[in-house]
Amino acid sequence: MTVTVRQPGLQTTIQSRPRTGLRHLGVPSSGPADPLSMALANRLVGNAAFEPALETTLTGVALEFHAEATIAITGATAQCSLNGQAVQQHATVAVVSGDVLVVGAAEAGVRSYVAFAGGLLADRVLESESTYLPAAFGGYKGRALIEGDDLSLATVSSKMVFAETPAEFRLPILHAWTARAGTSSETTRLRHAERLFDQKLTVASRSDRMGIKLDGEPFEIESDRQMPSVPSFPGTVQCPHDGSLYVMSVDAGTTGGYPRVAKITRMDLHMLGQLRPGNSLRLIERNDDDAARELLEKHAYWRAWLPDIAEVI
Amino acid sequence: MRSAGDDLLSISVDDVAAAQGLAADLRKSGDWIEAVAGVDSVVVRFDIASIHRADAEKRLIDAAANISEPAAKSSVIVEIPVVYGGESGPDFDLVCEKLDLSGRELIDLHCGEYTVDMLGFTPGFAYIGGLDERLKIDRLPEPRQLVPAGSVGIAGGRSGLYSLPGPGGWPLIGRTSKKLFDPKSDEPFTLAAGVTVVFREVDSL
Repeated sequence: MTVTVRQPGLQTTIQSRPRTGLRHLGVPSSGPADPLSMALANRLVGNAAFEPALETTLTGVALEFHAEATIAITGATAQCSLNGQAVQQHATVAVVSGDVLVVGAAEAGVRSYVAFAGGLLADRVLESESTYLPAAFGGYKGRALIEGDDLSLATVSSKMVFAETPAEFRLPILHAWTARAGTSSETTRLRHAERLFDQKLTVASRSDRMGIKLDGEPFEIESDRQMPSVPSFPGTVQCPHDGSLYVMSVDAGTTGGYPRVAKITRMDLHMLGQLRPGNSLRLIERNDDDAARELLEKHAYWRAWLPDIAEVI
Repeated sequence: MRSAGDDLLSISVDDVAAAQGLAADLRKSGDWIEAVAGVDSVVVRFDIASIHRADAEKRLIDAAANISEPAAKSSVIVEIPVVYGGESGPDFDLVCEKLDLSGRELIDLHCGEYTVDMLGFTPGFAYIGGLDERLKIDRLPEPRQLVPAGSVGIAGGRSGLYSLPGPGGWPLIGRTSKKLFDPKSDEPFTLAAGVTVVFREVDSL
């Protein structure tokens, strides 16, 4: 029950459940940068939301199967093929031994997710199979895949059921994004803090699983280099001395030494995984009460297709 | 009590021991997704889908008013052999110049016994407080892209031990061969908050 990596792409990793409860030891969450797309892929093959699956980066991946399998591809918009014949994203695909699956380069978004019925077998470290590259643990030997790696599939007994993501649950992958965000007690260190919101920011090239740099007119920030490191979380928006904005993502360190001037709301964090250099991002202000209410509304909407949505976003 | 985002609350406490004690209490309570101590604050992440913000604030304030007595101080002493300066401490000369110290003075002031304030940043990175006032220095204006594992930095009155290779903004004065994090081990973390460490000068790693 193996799958051989023929072309690994820029950075393809096994991701699974985010790590929680370990930040006080310096262990970040890791897990899928876009957990909603990963859950959608796993849903199609009958898995729980965080069954270990592949996350690609910009350039896709090519896989050769040595066994029958049922797979699904979601996330970044990409041309996908099986033995050279086009296959759809957001639908289950049956593969047999000898088949070659190609997930093409991302045309919109950054990360595609490839899920396998039963899931991938992977290294479980600190309570999750998610790969955490900076410390080289989890997933497949703690690293991104390279050509020739043999991935192992879990055995599944149940018969494949064809499924497609209903149109209303196909997460739109955009070029212009809006994310709801709130202020924090340190927002007051910014001059013209109102410019945080409703301004077009541009995703910079220095953007990865650690975080996303946003370009825009620099902020004036009152800060000193003696600020102690403080606990920080995915979605925390830092403003370093140069006045740029940096959004911490799933692999970001657990502390930060710069003022935390905003936070992307929990409900919209999944977008961080698809923000592509050059895309625009507009932050829309939400107070904490509205952010909680709208999260429940978002859960209610998605629950019709993803019953475990509250674990996902 | 301060907001740090839609699902985050931050509460100020007196000192690093109170922060560690409160965060440990909060983790034990099971009410929080995360409870993480800073040097003078604790930040919690809570499930806004099931806990109302006002309830979370009340629980946090109650817990902060009744912090458990810290467990007896760990008797473990971890020796950290350090090669100072040269390739091992690329900012050593710069730090000496900025602080107006000779190399010998810097090493003598840095060697000695300290207590780990907290782990954080990356798995196993240790913040170690209690540096002599004369060693107080700012972070680098621009962080380094790649700091080698084992690097010993100082900033803001603390030493920082880099457990992994990666980016970092602390001026580096030396390096240790002590392994600080090993994911394959049953005990992946060499250090913990409250543990005593001793920096000792060695000639080579």
